[in-house]
Amino acid sequence: MEQVLKLRNLKVVFPTDYGLIRAVEGVDLDIFHRECVALVGESGCGKSVTSQAVMRLLESPPALIRVDALEFDGRDLTQCTEQEMQEIRGRDMAMIFQDAMTSLNPVMTVGRQIDEMYRRHNGDSKKEAREKTVKALELIGIPEPRERANSFPHQLSGGMRQRVLLAMAFACMPKLIIADEPTTALDVTIQAQVLKTLRGMQRGCGTSLLLVTHDLSVVASIADRVYVMYAGKIVEKAPVKDLFTSPHHPYTVGLMAAVPRLADEKKQFTQIPGTVPSPVNKPSGCYFHPRCQYATERCRQEMPRLKPTGKDREVRCFHPLSAGGEQQ
Amino acid sequence: MTEIMTLQNVSVHFPVRGALPFLRKGEIQAVSDVSLSIHRGEIFGIVGESGCGKTTLASAMVGMIKPTAGQVLFEGVDLNRLPRDEFKKMRRRMQMIFQDPFSSLNPRFNVYQIVSEPMLIRGEDDEETMKARVVELLELVGLSSQDLYRYPSDFSGGQRQRLGIARAISLNPSFLVCDEPVSALDVSIHAQILNLLLELQEKLNLTYVFISHNLADVKKMCDHLAVMYLGKVMEAGNSDKIFANPMHPYTQALIAAILDIDFSEEREIIVLPGDTPSPINPPSGCRFWQRCPKAMRGCREVPPEYVEVEPDHFVACHLVNGFPDQELPEGYDQPMVPREKVPGR
Ligand SMILES: Nc1ncnc2c1ncn2[C@@H]1O[C@H](COP(=O)(O)OP(=O)(O)OP(=O)(O)O)[C@@H](O)[C@H]1O
Ligand SMILES: Nc1ncnc2c1ncn2[C@@H]1O[C@H](COP(=O)(O)OP(=O)(O)OP(=O)(O)O)[C@@H](O)[C@H]1O
Ligand SMILES: [Mg+2]
Ligand SMILES: [Mg+2]
Repeated sequence: MEQVLKLRNLKVVFPTDYGLIRAVEGVDLDIFHRECVALVGESGCGKSVTSQAVMRLLESPPALIRVDALEFDGRDLTQCTEQEMQEIRGRDMAMIFQDAMTSLNPVMTVGRQIDEMYRRHNGDSKKEAREKTVKALELIGIPEPRERANSFPHQLSGGMRQRVLLAMAFACMPKLIIADEPTTALDVTIQAQVLKTLRGMQRGCGTSLLLVTHDLSVVASIADRVYVMYAGKIVEKAPVKDLFTSPHHPYTVGLMAAVPRLADEKKQFTQIPGTVPSPVNKPSGCYFHPRCQYATERCRQEMPRLKPTGKDREVRCFHPLSAGGEQQ
Repeated sequence: MTEIMTLQNVSVHFPVRGALPFLRKGEIQAVSDVSLSIHRGEIFGIVGESGCGKTTLASAMVGMIKPTAGQVLFEGVDLNRLPRDEFKKMRRRMQMIFQDPFSSLNPRFNVYQIVSEPMLIRGEDDEETMKARVVELLELVGLSSQDLYRYPSDFSGGQRQRLGIARAISLNPSFLVCDEPVSALDVSIHAQILNLLLELQEKLNLTYVFISHNLADVKKMCDHLAVMYLGKVMEAGNSDKIFANPMHPYTQALIAAILDIDFSEEREIIVLPGDTPSPINPPSGCRFWQRCPKAMRGCREVPPEYVEVEPDHFVACHLVNGFPDQELPEGYDQPMVPREKVPGR
C-alpha cells in the first residue's frame, strides 16, 4: 500500500518557567492511502501538538522539535521551506479544527472562502470556482447551496459551519486531511450527520484522514486504525476492530470502560483512579503505573517499549491484557 | 413520594431587538409552557441539544430567572411571590453546579475563600467554624485540608469540579442543579465525578436536577427525565419506561445517535436531516416537524398536546396521541413525503 505519511520519533518540548513540558516523546505514525487513522487520548496528552508538528504549524520557539523522519507523499517535509509548506498545506494536506468560528473569516461569505481555495490552488476563474463551491456545498448536504454560499459564518449554525470547513478541506482533493476534534463542539444528532459526511467524502475522494479526538465512540464509528496516546507517548496501536474487541493496554481498557453505555448498570460508573500526570512532573517508569491495577515493581522503574503483539498491533506494557481482559 | 419542585406552565421568553428599536424582531422562546414535577430525593434529568433551554429551565427552577409566565413551586411555595428576604432564604436551599470548572471559580481566591464564600455571604463570621466546615466539605468531595490555601490554577479540571461541588453544598442545600457537570472534563474523570455526585446524594439526602446532552449518562443517573427540543418538553417521565419504550421520534433519534463502541452489535443509526431551527419565532405546530422522519401534514400546523400515555410517561406527539378534536387541515394524517422544502435557519 502506498504510504502517505511517515513520522518517526517526533519529540516536542516546551520550556516554561516551571520546567520542561515534554509534550510529545518519540511518536511514530504511519498513514496509508485512503485510510482513516485516529489519534485518541485525553486532554494534554499531545495529540494536537503531534498533528501540528506533522503540518509544520508548530511555532518554534517556543516549541523545541526533533524528528528523525517526516515524510509526506514521498517528500521530506523537514527540508521544505515555509513557502513550499504553504503550498502543500491546502493543496495536498488540509486541516479541520474543532472550532469552525476561529478558522473561518467572519467578514467574508463562506462561498468566497471556499472559492478562494479553488482559485488559489487550481487557478480557477471566479465563475468556475463558484460552480465548484456550490457543488461542494451540495455534496456535504447543505440545503440551497447557491443561496447559502452568500451567508457569513455567523449566519450559519455550528453544524453547518463545520460542514463548510469540510468542504474547504476537501476542495482541492488533498492527499491527507488532519481533523482535530472535528465534531467535539457539535450536538449529538449533528455530530452523527457530520461524521457520516466526513466518512463519505473521505471514501469518495480517496483521501487519507488523521482524526484527532478524545472520544472513543467517534473513533469506533469512523476509524480504520487507532493510535492511543497517554502523556506524550503512544501506548497502543491497533486496527479499530481489534482494539475495541480486545484492548491490550490497561489504559485503553479503562478508557473503554469509561464510555457510558445504554446497556450498563444504573447508578454506578466504572472509574479509572487518579488523574493524568502533570506534564512537567511525569512519574517514573511507565507513565500509567500510578493508575494501573496491574502495576508491578518493574512498571515503577522502567518505561516499557512499544512491542508488536499481533498483525499491525503494538502495545507499550509489561503486562498486556489478552482477549477476555485477562492478564497474560 | 413528595414533590419538592413543581413547574406549572412555565415559559421564559427573552426579547430580541431588531436593528432599529421599533422593529421588534420577536422573542426567543427559550422555554415554553413546561409543566413538570420533581420528587424529593430523586435525580431528575433534562436532556436535549444545545440551545433547547435546559439551562434556562433550571435557572427558573432555582429562581435565577423569573419566568415570563407560569409558576415555580418549591416545596409548594411560589418562589416568585415570596418577599425578598424569604426568597433569599429559600434560594440558599437550592444550588447550582456549572459546566465549566475553569471559569466558574474566581482565580484570585484560594480554596478556603472559594468554599467559604457562601457562608460568609450568609453572615457566618467565626473563622474557626468556617475552617472546620471547609475542611469537612473538602474531605467529603475527595480533597484534603492540605489543599486549603492553594489556588484554582493548581488543580486539574476534575479537582476544580470537586471544588465547585464543595462550594455548592456548603450551605446544606436540599436541591442541587448539576448543569453538564462533566462535559468539560477528561473522559477518564467523568466516572469519578458522577460517582461522587451519586455518593453525596445518598449521604446528604439531596434532590438533583441533572442536565446533560449525553443520554447514556442520563440513563445511568436519573430516575425521571424530560427530553427537550426548542424550549418544549417532548417526552418526560420515568427513566426506565422512556428508555424501554421511547415514543417520541426525537427521543428515538437521540437514543440512536449515541455512538457506540460495541462492535458486536449492529445498530441502526437515524440521521436527522437539517439543523435545530432558531428559537426566535419557532416553527408553528410541533416544533420538531421539520426534522421529524415521521412527520405528517398536520404536524406543521397543529401543536401536539402533552399527554400522559401510561402512568408516569408523558409524550407530546400526534403520532402517539392522535390529532385533537378540532378543525384539521386536509390530509393532516398523510405523511409528509416527498419532504417539503424546509426553510433554513
Ligand atoms: N505553546 C505551548 N506552550 C507550552 N506548552 C504547550 C504549548 N502547546 C501545548 N503545550 C503543552 O503540550 C501538551 C500537549 O498539548 P496538546 O495541545 O497536544 O494536547 P491535546 O492532546 O491536543 O489535548 P486537548 O484534548 O486538550 O486538545 C500539554 O501539556 C500542553 O500544555
Ligand atoms: N439571557 C439571555 N438572553 C437572551 N437569550 C438567551 C438568554 N439565555 C439563553 N438565551 C437563549 O435561550 C435559548 C436556550 O438557552 P439555554 O442556555 O437554556 O440552552 P441549553 O439547553 O442550556 O443549551 P446548552 O446545551 O448549549 O447549554 C438559546 O437560544 C439561547 O440563545
Ligand atoms: Mg488538542
Ligand atoms: Mg446550558
